[in-house]
Amino acid sequence: MSNEAHALPGQASDHPYLRSAILHCLLIAASFVMLYPILWMLAGSLRPAEDLFGGGASLIPSQVTIRAYTQGWFGVQMSFGRFFLNSLLIATLATLGNVFAASLAAYAFARLNFVGRKFWFALMLGTLMLPYHVTLIPQYVLFQNLGWVNTWLPLIVPKYFAVDAFFIFLMVQFFRGIPRELDEAAQMDGCSPWRIYYKVMLPLSLPVLATAAIFSFIWTWEDFFGPLIYVSDMNLYTVQLGLRSFIDSSGTSSWNELFAMSVLSLIPIFLIFLFFQRLLIEGIATTGMKR
Amino acid sequence: MSTSIQLRKVVKRFEALEVIKGVDLDIEPGKFTVFVGPSGCGKSTLLRMIAGLESITGGDLHIGGQKMNDVAAAKRGIAMVFQSYALYPHMTVYKNLAFGLETAGVRRDEIDRRVREAAETLRITEYLPRRPKALSGGQRQRVAIGRSIVRDPNIFLFDEPLSNLDAELRVQMRVEISKLHERLGNTMIYVTHDQVEAMTMADTIVVLRGGEVMQVGSPLELYNRPANRFVAGFIGSPKMNFLEAARVATDAIDVAGQAIQLEPYQLGRCPAETPITFGIRPEHIVLGGEVGQALGEARVDLVEHLGGSTSVYATMPSGASLTVLAPGQLSIRHGETVPLRFDAANCHAFGPDDQTLRN
Amino acid sequence: MSVSERSPAAAGNGESNALARSYREAFRRNAPGYLFLAPWLIGFFCLTLGPALGSLYLSLTDFDLLQTPNFVGLQNYVRMATADPKFVSAMRVTFLYVVLSMPLKLGFALAVAMMLNRGLKGLPIYRAVFYLPSLLGASVAIAVLWRQLFAADGMVNSMLAIIGIEGPSWISNPRYSLYTLVVLSVWQFGSPMIIFLAGLRQIPTDMYEAASLDGASASRQFWKITLPLLSPVIFFNFVIQTIEAFKAFTPAFIVSGGTGGPINSTLFYTLYLYQEAFGNFRMGYASALAWVLVIIIAIFTAFSFLSTRYWVHYDE
Ligand SMILES: Nc1ncnc2c1ncn2[C@@H]1O[C@H](COP(=O)(O)OP(=O)(O)O)[C@@H](O)[C@H]1O
Ligand SMILES: [Mg+2]
Repeated sequence: MSNEAHALPGQASDHPYLRSAILHCLLIAASFVMLYPILWMLAGSLRPAEDLFGGGASLIPSQVTIRAYTQGWFGVQMSFGRFFLNSLLIATLATLGNVFAASLAAYAFARLNFVGRKFWFALMLGTLMLPYHVTLIPQYVLFQNLGWVNTWLPLIVPKYFAVDAFFIFLMVQFFRGIPRELDEAAQMDGCSPWRIYYKVMLPLSLPVLATAAIFSFIWTWEDFFGPLIYVSDMNLYTVQLGLRSFIDSSGTSSWNELFAMSVLSLIPIFLIFLFFQRLLIEGIATTGMKR
Repeated sequence: MSTSIQLRKVVKRFEALEVIKGVDLDIEPGKFTVFVGPSGCGKSTLLRMIAGLESITGGDLHIGGQKMNDVAAAKRGIAMVFQSYALYPHMTVYKNLAFGLETAGVRRDEIDRRVREAAETLRITEYLPRRPKALSGGQRQRVAIGRSIVRDPNIFLFDEPLSNLDAELRVQMRVEISKLHERLGNTMIYVTHDQVEAMTMADTIVVLRGGEVMQVGSPLELYNRPANRFVAGFIGSPKMNFLEAARVATDAIDVAGQAIQLEPYQLGRCPAETPITFGIRPEHIVLGGEVGQALGEARVDLVEHLGGSTSVYATMPSGASLTVLAPGQLSIRHGETVPLRFDAANCHAFGPDDQTLRN
Repeated sequence: MSVSERSPAAAGNGESNALARSYREAFRRNAPGYLFLAPWLIGFFCLTLGPALGSLYLSLTDFDLLQTPNFVGLQNYVRMATADPKFVSAMRVTFLYVVLSMPLKLGFALAVAMMLNRGLKGLPIYRAVFYLPSLLGASVAIAVLWRQLFAADGMVNSMLAIIGIEGPSWISNPRYSLYTLVVLSVWQFGSPMIIFLAGLRQIPTDMYEAASLDGASASRQFWKITLPLLSPVIFFNFVIQTIEAFKAFTPAFIVSGGTGGPINSTLFYTLYLYQEAFGNFRMGYASALAWVLVIIIAIFTAFSFLSTRYWVHYDE
């Protein structure tokens, strides 16, 4: 009837510009609060050491210097370059394994017919919820018996067996969205399941493969617990372990060097975030999951 | 060259659900066979079992005289065109056509020759470097057909290939597929739910319903001598009129008080007084005049002028509604009462089990 | 057709022949699936199921990594329940952490998601900014940063000094140290926020239009439309994030220097488990701790699922 007669109170139509301006102000303020700690760390890493905490909460260093970076790089016995290289190698190998093994399993779950498929799929989903602590100690014993402790193998090899069900789940969701008629057309074209997998499925799944690779890389890069228990030789340290020993060796005296190395350790993640933000966000939104 | 297909008591079950209920079928070599039936009746399932995309629960499938139940899809000498075309989106048209040949390990120059030949045939040469998403629906359809031609299969299968096209293109592609069949002479099976497609394209039509074959025959056989009420209603447009009736003599029935004379063979061995169904196609009813015999009168509810013909929707005094398709342009109006006449040779009678009574 | 015709025994026995054929057929049908699944299956048995059962056994022993384990029955569990104040303390800290951080984290996530869902310009930028902490949060660098933020002379106290308050040393004061970790967790509300945003997108806007034509106020729309329709997503976020919170490790380890101090105030359950396993080499006891964690998570998940019928609204 006459909805125009009594204008709707409190609706966005009242003062649309004012409301969205207020909203923007709120969000900008919140963004600032969210980013402040990170910016503060960045600023701290660029301050001279004598500045100590004199800078207080301010973001603007009295004087900009990269001394913290050049000194922190060699702040522990080993150069951080070594740690970065180690982390890069581990994360790359782990990522390859995750993407490869998870896509194989996901293809089987999403597309192939075999006895017991639903059963295995349910078990796979079950492992999503299982805390890794419950497998931790026997795994440690296993790897110790294999002579793998104090190598990178415990950090890499399990990924080639798709132990992280998250990636399988992510890919199953995506594979299911690819029209089944494409597989069938390929089947009529004489393709074996393997050829369908790598000639049809994989090329069509690049977005989800990239998403899985990115998450896998970031999580391996950030992983602290794994290297902590398996790696003791400093030559094999990851960046995260390097940072930890930096804390232990220097206390708070060279906090700006610690900050500098911390900032450096975040840069790869930040770059990935910058370039692949959309994939990350879609990945989270479609699986509804993230550690 | 062309290949026959035999199905013997073929059954398909999805878990407990029986979708194909014992189908016996002989598909003659070189013929264009159409599976037609309402949606969900199992046409696609039957086709996919022939293709090897769906396993066969029971019965035997022979292709070219060989049992094929457990032979892999690619080894049956069959190509299939899918409803959604199923073109590989990440490959160019050329690659789409070449993919099956590459898989089979055909030599590069041979692949190139065959791809270009097929592209020539279907007039898609200029699109070879494009990706499928840069093509229109009709062009994609051609590519999909091209992909099946290059492999030079013995048998072509089509699963509702035209249903994603607009009406005009659909007619055009219909003609093209028929011409293709004429030229290649292969065995082709074509699935559709559209009886017009079936009538216009088929050498042989297989009418399916609920996983069972209702009738097999040429288009005109199905039109002239439907085996049962379902086929009678499904083939022909507008639909055949069905009126309740009863047999009163060896050669006469009663349709709502109107006695109608038929030939005894049209009523078969149906006992007297049983309720039967009298069927007459809209185009076989004449409004007024002197030909044939009277069917009674009807009041006109609606008239549709199509130019070349006129559809009249009317109600009989018994309350039964009726469609009449008259040639030319008539000047009747809504509310008028018209006399109906027909020729006994054109009518059908179905028993209580819906089977035709004619013997 | 048949291959095994050569063998007279098989040829004579049609039944076994048919059996052999059906086995071959079953193999042909199932082999590709199991080949593709093989890496996962090996991983599942050797790295997940086997070890899980192994730790169940170890939890009933006094395993110390060096000597062969001795079976001790339920002794580890009994000790946990009756004679381990550190276990009780770790439980208390962990539950407190979960109970404090979950509502705040999910509340922020939902509130910000709703603000962002109003078709504002610049959504991708805001979304990225709010998401970034979630992505970085698990790293040692951020834990290092947190230590400095809440140190006696850290950023937080510098800010408080501006308004004339002298803040305590948050990190080294057992009364406050856990709260700094709660703040760290809440700071990472970005990933549940993204899931909320995706959920909000699913709610048709015409539903709100119809409601506002009916004169429903904004708060009524929130309670009667947004919350019910979003409840499956809320439930999902709640379960996943809570399980993750139970498993939190790195921040407590770095902020407390691996001790869980001061006075066990940041002794997360997983940190205690780590100390027992790799500090004291009480592997049997640590296995028991791990299984108790599984049981807690299982009970929590089961109760959450049971509760859904009272508050989670599913479309048929
Ligand atoms: N994979 C399947 N699982 C279970 N039921 C199916 C499957 N495929 C088809 N059906 C069922 O089989 C029947 C026939 O399907 P289909 O052959 O696709 O029909 P049509 O192609 O004639 O429309 C339908 O009732 C359909 O629901
Ligand atoms: Mg179909």
